[in-house]
Formats: sequence, structure tokens, C-alpha cells
Amino acid sequence: MGMIKTFSSLVLSVMVFWAPATLAADKDAAWLHYGGDQGGRHYSSVANINKENVDDLDVAWVFRSGDMETHGKKMENTSAQSTPILLPAAAGESLVYCTPFNRVIALDPALGTQRWQFDPKINLQGDRTFRCRGVSYGLDVNTSETQACRHRLYVATHDRSLWAIDAKDGKVCENFGINGQVRLYGKEGFVPGDVANSSAPAVANGVIVVGSAIIDFARAQAPRGTVKAFDAHSGKPLWSFDPLLNQLNSGAANVWAPISIDVENDLVFLPTSAPSPDYYGAKRPGDNHYANSVVALNLQTGKLVWHFQHVHHDLWDYDTPAQPILFDWKKNGKTIPALAQLTKQGLTFVFNRLTGEPLWEITQQPVPPSQIPGEYSSLTQPKPMAPPPLIDSFLMPDDAWGLTPIDRSDCKSQLEHINNMGLFTPNSEKLSLMYPGSLGGPNWGGGAMLADSGVLLVNINNVAFTGQLIPKQKDAISSKKDHPEAGKRMRVAMNGTPYSVEIGSLKSFLGIPCNPPPWGKLVAIDLVKGTILWEAPLGSIHEMGPVTLPFHVDWGTPNLGGGIATKGGLFFIGATMDRQFRAFDVSNGETLWKYTLPVDGNATPMTYQYKGRQYVVINAGGHAIFSRGAGDYLYAFALPE
Amino acid sequence: MKLGLLLTALLCVHQAANAATLKVQNQQGEPLAQVMITRTSLNLPPADLSDDGYTPHGVTNISTPVLTRFTDVNGQVELADTQESVQYRARAQGYVDEIFTQLTPSITLQKMTDQQLYASYPSNVWLSQLDFGGDEELKKTFFLNCAFCHQQASPFMRNERTTDQWKSVFKRMGTYGSRLPYDDYEKIAEILQTEYRGLREKPQTVPKPRVWEKHLSTIEMTEWPIGDGFSQMHDFILHPNGKVYVGDNLFDRIYEMDTKTNEYTVYKVPHEKDAKLGGLFGNRFKVFPKMHNYLGVHSFAYSKIDGNIFITPSMQQALLEFDVKTKQFTQYDMPEGFYPHTIRVDQQDRVWFTMAVSSQVAMFDRNTKEFTMFDLPARSIKEWFILKVMPLIFSFSPENRPQPSPDKESSGLPMPYGIDVDSKGIVWVARLYAEDIARIDPVTKDVTMIDFPFKGPRRLRVDSNDNVWIVAFQDSLLVKYDPTENKFTKYELPVVNELPYALNIDLKRNVVWVNGNQSDTILAFDINSETWKTYPMPRQRFFTRDIEISEEDGAIYTTNSHFPTWQSEGGVPTMLRITPIEQ
Repeated sequence: MGMIKTFSSLVLSVMVFWAPATLAADKDAAWLHYGGDQGGRHYSSVANINKENVDDLDVAWVFRSGDMETHGKKMENTSAQSTPILLPAAAGESLVYCTPFNRVIALDPALGTQRWQFDPKINLQGDRTFRCRGVSYGLDVNTSETQACRHRLYVATHDRSLWAIDAKDGKVCENFGINGQVRLYGKEGFVPGDVANSSAPAVANGVIVVGSAIIDFARAQAPRGTVKAFDAHSGKPLWSFDPLLNQLNSGAANVWAPISIDVENDLVFLPTSAPSPDYYGAKRPGDNHYANSVVALNLQTGKLVWHFQHVHHDLWDYDTPAQPILFDWKKNGKTIPALAQLTKQGLTFVFNRLTGEPLWEITQQPVPPSQIPGEYSSLTQPKPMAPPPLIDSFLMPDDAWGLTPIDRSDCKSQLEHINNMGLFTPNSEKLSLMYPGSLGGPNWGGGAMLADSGVLLVNINNVAFTGQLIPKQKDAISSKKDHPEAGKRMRVAMNGTPYSVEIGSLKSFLGIPCNPPPWGKLVAIDLVKGTILWEAPLGSIHEMGPVTLPFHVDWGTPNLGGGIATKGGLFFIGATMDRQFRAFDVSNGETLWKYTLPVDGNATPMTYQYKGRQYVVINAGGHAIFSRGAGDYLYAFALPE
Repeated sequence: MKLGLLLTALLCVHQAANAATLKVQNQQGEPLAQVMITRTSLNLPPADLSDDGYTPHGVTNISTPVLTRFTDVNGQVELADTQESVQYRARAQGYVDEIFTQLTPSITLQKMTDQQLYASYPSNVWLSQLDFGGDEELKKTFFLNCAFCHQQASPFMRNERTTDQWKSVFKRMGTYGSRLPYDDYEKIAEILQTEYRGLREKPQTVPKPRVWEKHLSTIEMTEWPIGDGFSQMHDFILHPNGKVYVGDNLFDRIYEMDTKTNEYTVYKVPHEKDAKLGGLFGNRFKVFPKMHNYLGVHSFAYSKIDGNIFITPSMQQALLEFDVKTKQFTQYDMPEGFYPHTIRVDQQDRVWFTMAVSSQVAMFDRNTKEFTMFDLPARSIKEWFILKVMPLIFSFSPENRPQPSPDKESSGLPMPYGIDVDSKGIVWVARLYAEDIARIDPVTKDVTMIDFPFKGPRRLRVDSNDNVWIVAFQDSLLVKYDPTENKFTKYELPVVNELPYALNIDLKRNVVWVNGNQSDTILAFDINSETWKTYPMPRQRFFTRDIEISEEDGAIYTTNSHFPTWQSEGGVPTMLRITPIEQ
């Protein structure tokens, strides 16, 4: 009993020391974490830029990391996904972000000039796409104010090292791990192209939690997706969590999307991905808990508190792609600490985040069975009673779309010959519709909450995919990409299974999607009322054809990267395949402002107020999947001084 | 192979030698009556499913039966002990299902939370609370067009949808055969969104389902799973040879089920080499993963002379005969008419069936092999014209065929549906959309139309006194028509907002059995006492369209033909028998 009390006191004291980072007077004014706050709300209470003056928004400064010059052609295999954070004054008040090669760069927030940089010099072997979504800040109370590394930054690298560096000057924290780094891999060592890290570590209450990004479709038994926790001061391992509970004949179920932490309640929320291999499950019977789930663990101990699986026995690569969003659910005079989980399949689940109790009833929806021998697909899949699906996942032949009667007819003919029984139609040896495809629906961009109103803004992809299981042939050529590149089909030999899988978008002979536009859209959801408030196309296709059109055609484009909402009534987002950075009116989805970047801005932007001036910053470097060019830009926008 | 299967089957039957008693109680230790105890075998015998996942033609497999009994007033139920690996499920209204694999002397059920309770309610009680903004006519139009394939207010139908998503559903269902008028799309989409939302917010306003009744402890239910999640076990017939012949409407297969041995043998109806999926109607289910309905086996009737079975192939202009001894099919092509539907054989061994789309009744003379067609009258000049040009319309390929837009009156589609023959040889027919019944005198060939004063006359049957019993689909009624008095008598169903599809009559016991599909029940009406008994189905989303009765012991048979089948609990179609337990 005494020991428990001592431990509890210790935890409480650590929590008190770590709390100031998130309990500022106006917690929503800072952007101290990847997702704005530890719960991924993507919201800022700064309102200098608002609906009335956004038209005057202009470039304040542009910073270039130099990666284009250093890495040349290798940049084609990068995705610039980093969202900067603004450090508190005590930590140097720098704007900090990471490049796809995990270089951490600190800038002057007003001028965009470099203050320092840290280069972990990662292993560049392998053909996995390089990306780094962000770095994390932590105040180490075990280090005195006069010592270095009291204010720390943590970055988990492509080659699987967890680094701790001093937030003030970028020098490694020698007392963390071995010379400032902890190796995240085991005895097998780092295998280039196999397991990587992409999201920022989650850090709170003296604990760092790190997931991993794993190629999980190329073999039946991918590496395990074990999540690891470390002491934020020493780097000492604290606990680990295998989402597959040591189930045999499978692997992965890793956590590649950003992790959320409820600092006050000492809970960490893991968005787990699909078990391996993604599209064939005969060798991993059952529901495959806790893959495709949101899992709540005690941050200090790693003990399971609750879990919810949104796809049973995944056969579609429906990873949990988005950071769990922590917010206050206010209804009938009551406030419940809530969690909203967006899924690739376009469903939004809402829970009491302390207990896991659904705040909207979840039904088990019967779904079509698999036709693959030995494959026992789940009879049902979860669906919330509300809000409604963000995508209507049926696409009938009569719904086929085309620019001309000829390509429409081509699409109609294709749709007449593919399996399509809506969401969760299992792939078979016949071509099957995957709508949404493995790109989503929503993806890692997550959503943005309008403060605590319960209104969530989400950017989603709306391009139908098709998939097919092909009995294996010896000469199968296997792709090693996560998803098909724009306009291409991807075939992967699922080693250890009798099949290869081929997936790609459903398009006409002209290369145009067969489902009607918009092909990317912005949706506003009232989570408390369970309704959709409005939808708006997101993106213009004017640069997607063989020639660039001189005018915008707002039919929406596939999009990767998230958006942010501000108290000024604005929603900022890049993400699209048209190089545009846009500001929308949160009340109706009207585009109020846009700016043409040199390359696509496939990162989630952020905003901050520095010396009285509000800045909106976005990383513009393109995305390898979209194959539209890379860059090394960081753009900051502000109103004229 | 066949001997092996037989031995396995006999073992399955005889392993259940001893009986054990199970007591079910609540958390207070009080006995719970009418608890449904369902036993499912976990070890299934191997089956030959080598024909694209289905039993090949002429091959015999074994279906492992699923048994269900109910506790009595003392909370007790006697269950045959078994050495097999089995799973038990205890289900009671208001209690959480209890799953167990070992039979213990007693089990305790936990009360449901309010949310669990409301979620457990069947479709009919939710439907009863849809007001349609006070537009009763519109509500019935919705029922007629949207509730004949699947349950309409199951939990996943009550999910929040945008009005666009609802309209997309209507459009999709339109391609499957629903005839919801286009003009009503917007209004119904708004009603469903608003009223389901209202019910979600106040689920306590939804009436409780009918309480399960004491008589249940006197019956046993046996289910035989056949086919798979893509099958649709539509109609069937209990044959004098003791076997049940079940038609898989989507796969042109006949399942010959021997309930004594649990063996079933599958016979595939042959089709022409160049036949097209969906036959004359084309493939309405193009996006369906699996389907082989070149003929669309629909309704069954047998000859009392030689036992041969006659089957309506809805997608063809033809009639099928199946010789139960040689297992051969014979197809008789018809000179005209579209959509052979419900079928009966009269006392003179003539075969009568409705032609649902061309508004005709066909009579097949087995001696001459000739068809006689009876045209039922059109309701308007427009309808007359549509019926007359129908052969021309059907001369176009299904892809390019002009189709009249659906309207509230179902113009051009009066749809003769149910049919039966009385003791004097008079043929009775119900027209679903026209709301009338036809009397056909086979001697004079006179056709008399009689207005049916209720909505949705679907299938009908004649009792031992030559009264005609009809189910009124949208009006949730059982209706008796007395031809001598020209009088209709309505009987309210014992469950709210059920949409009865069909019925049959136990002539020996004077009981009308009515199919349920929204309430997960089958209903029995005692003609003499004018009282009802209800029988809960052993699975949720159990949609029944046909009933057969064993006059000998009073057992009844039905099938779960929810479409799509995978939406049923368990995901596979089953043939169900309800048998009185010998006391």
C-alpha cells in the first residue's frame, strides 16, 4: 500500500511538473505540439487573422532547408509532412520543425532565419519514402534550470533512433540513452526499407511513447508493431505494448499515425493499424485484436484501460490513420471528456475517453462475406449510429462519371463488371470496388475542432479504388510503396500467402476517376448533434491534366495533410494537388483566400502569435505518392505590419 | 462417399442420447421463463463446395442442424446431452445474450442497459413510430416499395444519413426492383432523416416488442444452414416423400433436404449455353459478387398424381418440371407473358401460376403440354397500353429497354401475386399493386375482379371452407374473404407494424400461419378461437416468405430469405422447422 502511495505521489508530482506546458492561461493560443495540443485538435484561439482581413494575408517569410540542393534526385522519394511547433519563451521561443531526412531546424519565428540545426545523419539506404511529421517538446524537471537539456526536443527518425536534443541550441542530450539516442529496433538491427518512424513521439508526464511505420502488405508476417515507452529524462525503457497480443502468423498492427495524450488523466491513445498482410487474412483468423483500433493505455504503466476496434479482421488496409482527437463533449448541460476517431472508411466514432463508452451508439453492421478459400471475413463491422458516413461508399454503374459520354460509358462498363456491395466488400479474384480505398476517406491529416463547440472539420479523399487478389505467379513484380502512386496501379506479392494484391484508382481510359467529383472535399461535422453541417470541394484539378489550365476547376483533388481552425473563423489547409494554400470560412465552407505555393503543401499548417503578430506556417515540399515535384520550403504568412 | 455422409449424419442424430436440464435465472435468482436456448455445433462435417463455393450438381452434403428450445415457467429447459463440441446461446427479451460451451445446471442472465435494450428491438416497433409527417399514404408507399427484401428499421438502417445519402440508397434500390416514385425521393429522404433522428433521441417512445409467450416451451426449433451469404432461399415445398425442396433464387439451385438424416442434395437447373444472367430481365444485380440466376427459381408446387414438382423460373418465359425420382428438369417454354410467380396445382393436376409483370394468370395442361393465358383487366387506358406494348418493350435488350417511371399508382404494374385453388376448382389471385383479387372460373374461363378494401394483397390461401385468406402487406392485416357472402373480415396482427408477406393454412387444425419479416416472428391464428400465438425467430433479421405445414404433426417449415442474406444474424440462410414437442 505504502509503495503504491509513493508511486502515485511520484506520478502526481511528475504530472504537476509536466503540466505547465499544456495548462497555460490560454492553452489554445500556443502551438507547442504537432497537433496544436496533445489531443490533436488543430485549433488556435489566436484571432488576429479573421474573416474580415484574411484577404490581406501575404507571405511574411520563406525558409528553405537546403535539402533540394543536398539530396537532389532523392527528394523525389520524400514527403514534406512536418508541422512546426513554437517553443515557449523559456525554451528559446524558436519555431522548430524537421525535414524529411529528420534534420531538426530552429528558426526565428518573426524572420524565418535559422538559429540552429541538428542533423542525425540518418541511414539513407532503402527505398521507403522519407518523411518526418514533427518533433516533440518536453520540459525535463529532473534537469535544473542552469543545466543544458532542461528543455528538450525529441525526434524519432527514419532509421529508428529516438533522439533527445536541447531545445535551445540543438545539441544532443548526452544523458539520454547512449549519447542522446535510443535505438528503437531490436537485435535484428535496422533493416532499410522495412520499419521506419514518421510521426512525432508523444511526450508527457515524463514519458515518451513511440510507434513505428511498417511495410505490412508485402509479407504475411511483418515485424510486430510494438509500441514502446521510455523515460523522458534517461531514455530508459518503461513499457511496451504489442497490439496483436502476441498472436501468431501475423505482424504489424503498428502505430504510425500521431499518438494523443490526455495529460491530466495520464492516458495515452494509440491509433493502431492493420495486421499483416493487409489484404489477406486466412492465416490470421479472428478479429485480430487490437489491430485497427484506438487503444487507451495508462501512460505510466502501459496497462490497457479500454480499446475499440473499428475494423474486424481487416482485409482493406483500413489502418487507423488519424490522431485521436481529444475534446470536451458538451450536451444537455454536461461535459464529458471525449475522443473522436476518424477512420479511413469515412466513419467517425466518439467515445468517453476515460471509459471507452461510445457517445454515439455503435452498431455491428452485417457485411458481405469473402469468396477467397479459407478466408473467414468478419460477419459484421462497426458503424456509429451518427454522425453519417463522410463518403457514400456505393458506386453503381449509373453513377459513373466522365468528361464525355465516351469515358463515362467506359466507367459504367467497368462498374458493371466489378464486385461492389459497399463498404467492406472483401477483395476477391474478381476486381472489387474499394470505396474509400486505402488512401481514405480521412487520412493522417486528421481533423480540426472549432474549440470545444463539437464541430469538426475534416479533409477527405473521395476517389474510388479497385482491388483484386491474383493467384501468385513466380514472376510477380512487387512494389514497395505504401499506396499506389497517382494514376498508377500497384501490385504487391504478399509473401507467405497464395496471392498477390493489385490496387489502384478506378479511372477511365482518359485517366479520370470514374466516381463523380468532388475527388477531395472538406466536411464540417457536428459531433454532438451527429450531423454534417456542410461540405465543400477541396482542390482544383487545373494542374492534373496533360496541360495546366489557366483557371481553377474546383472539382476537388486527392489530398494528404491536415487543416487547422482558428478563433478568427478560418480553416487553413494545403493538402491538395494544385499547390494551393487556402483559407475557408468555418461557418459555410466558402473559400476566402488562397495562395499558390511553388510545390504542393502536403503538411498540416500551424499558427502562432509572436510579438503581437499572427503567423500561419506551412511546409511545402510535395508528397511522393502524388508525384508532383518536391521542395524544401517553409512558408509563413501574416497580415501586413 | 454417400455412405460416409450417412453414417456421420446418423452419428449426429444418435449422439444426443441423454437429456440434461438447464435452469435460467436472473440476477436475483428468480427463474426466467421463455428464454431461448440455441445449440450450435462447432465442428462442421466436411462439405463438397467445389462449384464456385457451392455444392455441385447431384452432390450430397450434410447440414449440421442448430437446435432451439425455450425455458418453461420454472426457468427450466430440457436439452439433449451431446458429446459434440457445441456452443449454447441463451437469449431472453431484456437480457444480454449468454454464450457458453459447457452445459451447467444453471446460468444467470444480466439485464440489458437501456441502450442495449433499444438496440435489441426488431424493425417493426421502430417502423410503427415513423409518422411520415402524418402522410399515411406516403408511409404505405414506402413500405410497399422498400420493405419486401429486408428489414427496414434494423439498426444499420436507422443510422444517420444525409438526405443525399438516403436518395442514393433509393436510387440503388430502384435498380434492384424497388418502384419508389421519383417524386417522393426528396420528401421521404427528409422524413427518414428527421424521424429516425427523433427516435434516436427518444427511444423510450418506441413500443416494446410483443412479450414471448408461455407456449414456446412446448416447441422445438431446428435450423439447417444451407447455401451461403450470397444465396437467397426464397420459396420451397414440403413433399409427400418427406423431403423439403428449397429454391436458391439467386443460384438456380434446388436443395433437396432430408430432415431425418440432415443430408441435402443439390440440383442445378440447367440453362441454355448462351443464356444471360437475369434472363429476360437482364442482370439487375451487376455489382453483386456472385450470382447465377439465369432462370430465377421462385415458387414450388407438386403434382398429387406423380409427385413431380413445378417451379416458376421468374426470369424466363417458361415453366419448369422437376422429376423427383429421376432428378431431371424439363423446361416448357411459354408463348407469352412475363415473370412467372406464385404457383399451385389444382385437383385436376393442372398447373396455375401468376405472371406478375404482364398481369396474367397462366394454366398449364399437363396432358396437352399447352398453356392457357388469362389476361387480368387493366385499371386504366394507360395501363392497358403499357401491358399491350410490353412484348415490344421486352424485345429490346435489358440495357436499352425503356421503362415507365414509377408512380404512386404503379401504373402498368398491377402485379398478380399470390394464387390458390379452392375445393371447387375456382382459382383465386391477389394483385398486389392493384389492390384487388381475381376469381377465375376454369370452366367458363370467366374472370371476375373484386376490390380488396385494404393495402397490399400479397399471397393468399384457401381454407377447408373455401374462405380465401389474404395478407395485406402495407396494412399489417390478415384478411378473410368469404366468397359466399362477398364479405371481408380483417384481423389485426398480434405485433405492430408487421408487413406480412405470405401465409399458409393448417387445414387439419384450422390454423393460419402468417409470415413475419419485420418483427422476427412467425404468427399463428386459430380460426376457431380467433386468437394468435407468436413464435420468435432464432436469429435476428429473419425474413420469411413462405410456410409449409406438416399436416401429420403440425410442424411448420420456413426459410430465412432476408435479402441480402448476409444481413441476417449469422450471415447464412437457414431452413427452419418448428415442431411441437411430444409431451
